[in-house]
Amino acid sequence: MTDKKTILIIDDEPDTLTYFSSLLEDNGYKTVTAGDGRAAIELVKECLPDLITLDITMPEKSGVRCYRELRENEAWRAIPVIMVTGISGDFRNFISSRKQVPPPEGYLSKPVDEAELLNLVRKLVKAEH
Amino acid sequence: MDIPYQQYFDAMPCYMTVQDREFRVITANARFRKAFGDYQGRHCYQVYKQRAEKCEICPVEKTFHDGQVHSSEEKVRCLDGSEVSVIVYAEPIRNPDGEITAVMEMSTDITDLKRLQNQFRESQARYRTLFEEVPCYISIQDRDLNVVDANRLHRETFGSFLGCKCYQIYKHRSEECYPCIARQTFLDGKFRVHEEVVTSQEGKSINVLVHTSPILGASGEIQHVMEMSADITQIRELQSQLASIGLLISSISHGIKGLLNGLNGGVYLVNNGLASGNQGRITQGWEIVQRNIVRIRSMVLDILYYAKDREPDWTTLSAVAVIDDVHKQMSAKARELGIELRKELDGDAGEFEADEKAIRALLVNLSENSLDACRVDRKKPQHRVTLRGAGNGGMVEFRIEDNGIGMDQETREKAFSLFFSSKGSEGTGLGLFIADKIARAHGGGIQIASEIDAGTSFLVSIPRRRSVRRAESEA
Repeated sequence: MTDKKTILIIDDEPDTLTYFSSLLEDNGYKTVTAGDGRAAIELVKECLPDLITLDITMPEKSGVRCYRELRENEAWRAIPVIMVTGISGDFRNFISSRKQVPPPEGYLSKPVDEAELLNLVRKLVKAEH
Repeated sequence: MDIPYQQYFDAMPCYMTVQDREFRVITANARFRKAFGDYQGRHCYQVYKQRAEKCEICPVEKTFHDGQVHSSEEKVRCLDGSEVSVIVYAEPIRNPDGEITAVMEMSTDITDLKRLQNQFRESQARYRTLFEEVPCYISIQDRDLNVVDANRLHRETFGSFLGCKCYQIYKHRSEECYPCIARQTFLDGKFRVHEEVVTSQEGKSINVLVHTSPILGASGEIQHVMEMSADITQIRELQSQLASIGLLISSISHGIKGLLNGLNGGVYLVNNGLASGNQGRITQGWEIVQRNIVRIRSMVLDILYYAKDREPDWTTLSAVAVIDDVHKQMSAKARELGIELRKELDGDAGEFEADEKAIRALLVNLSENSLDACRVDRKKPQHRVTLRGAGNGGMVEFRIEDNGIGMDQETREKAFSLFFSSKGSEGTGLGLFIADKIARAHGGGIQIASEIDAGTSFLVSIPRRRSVRRAESEA
């Protein structure tokens, strides 16, 4: 059996965690989940995922802070990140225009289109290797 | 030598007379004769004022009495009927033995001066009226920022505190504000504009647009600074309402996107379970669908309450039954999150008048808040939320307590503010705002006691009788 790629799903909505983990596991990936940015960083340290889906608006530590930490760490910088959020599309322009950190590899708006999520995951996980 | 003195006497540019002890005019200069005519054998009060008796206050009489120079301001009437204001000086004339034999009275025409004085006084009164009645707050500050003058609206709104510091009066502060535009105007003499929020003596917040301008002294130095503040609270409230509508739309749209994502998840699991015959997945998916439908319903109710000031649909409710209902409604969510949901009911809690749906929405909102506060708390192994209902005289009281993350002071103070949420993407910032609005619509209120890491307690007090509430809300 080949090693399954690990995807870390970060979202403060338990239903989204259940949804994404079921969908991605059904499509051959291993998933780990975190309900906020703080727990997510702990999981990144533990399992060094192959890809991360990241919600923006979360308590404790927001997705934006979490993303910056991921990009500032040498060991985590290469992990592709898909930002998944329900907030306005303007946010995509905002995050892409910031000079301090490179833009995320993918950006999806809630409600997420399953096929679009799976295509993006396949593309980014393949591109990584 | 007599002639030149008579000429000087006549040429004096004022009215001159010499009077005896009975105030008879003995002699007078040409200017007097021209203005008042024949004086021979007449008393000065007859000539000057056409009076039958001497004046009550007479400088000539005083000079006869004490030998000093006396003066007074008088109004006299000329032959042509015109009234002339004069300033009168009376000086004694003594014989070689030093006895006062007569008094010389010199009256200078100050009519023009008086007219100017009156005009000045009227103009000052007019400006004072403008200053007093202008519909904005005006204060005059000295270099130490003491308010030395203020107009009527200012005094009525902030109190009569002349001599106090402006920052004490406007903001109840003990230190100077930063930046202080009055201070800046004192430094450079320039006009300035700044927006501030000040507090009236009744504690009401007022948004003001403050203008400052220097008040210069005679030598051009800045003696005072005038502050003129226009009340722009209504404009700010309108702007805030417009912004609120924008925020509401954005907040709702964000919330709905999250709910739709959840529904998609539920549908995915149900479809997948049906296709693979996996009953567990079907159940899991269906629970997600149901939960999100409940959330959508609750959000719609919240929006309706926000959007419209609805008159409650009054009915008589049992406090115990209400808590029972809410407990039932929240049980599934609590179980799923592994949180113990208790209820403690006082059998004597009794009945109260309220809008059933609204009261239930209020208690559900607070319970959801408590469950969320437990869900995100990782510092305690066990969490519980307790719902209590009890009577307290003319009120019924509901208490929702949790041992979740608790709130800091800022969160506590803003908890009922519209669109304030500490819950990340799960919070629309509507729940507690609506809960508070419902409690108020019933003439009651919500109090929060909370401590970080210890938990939160919401106390909802609702009057039992509707009439009491109306009287209170109308008051």
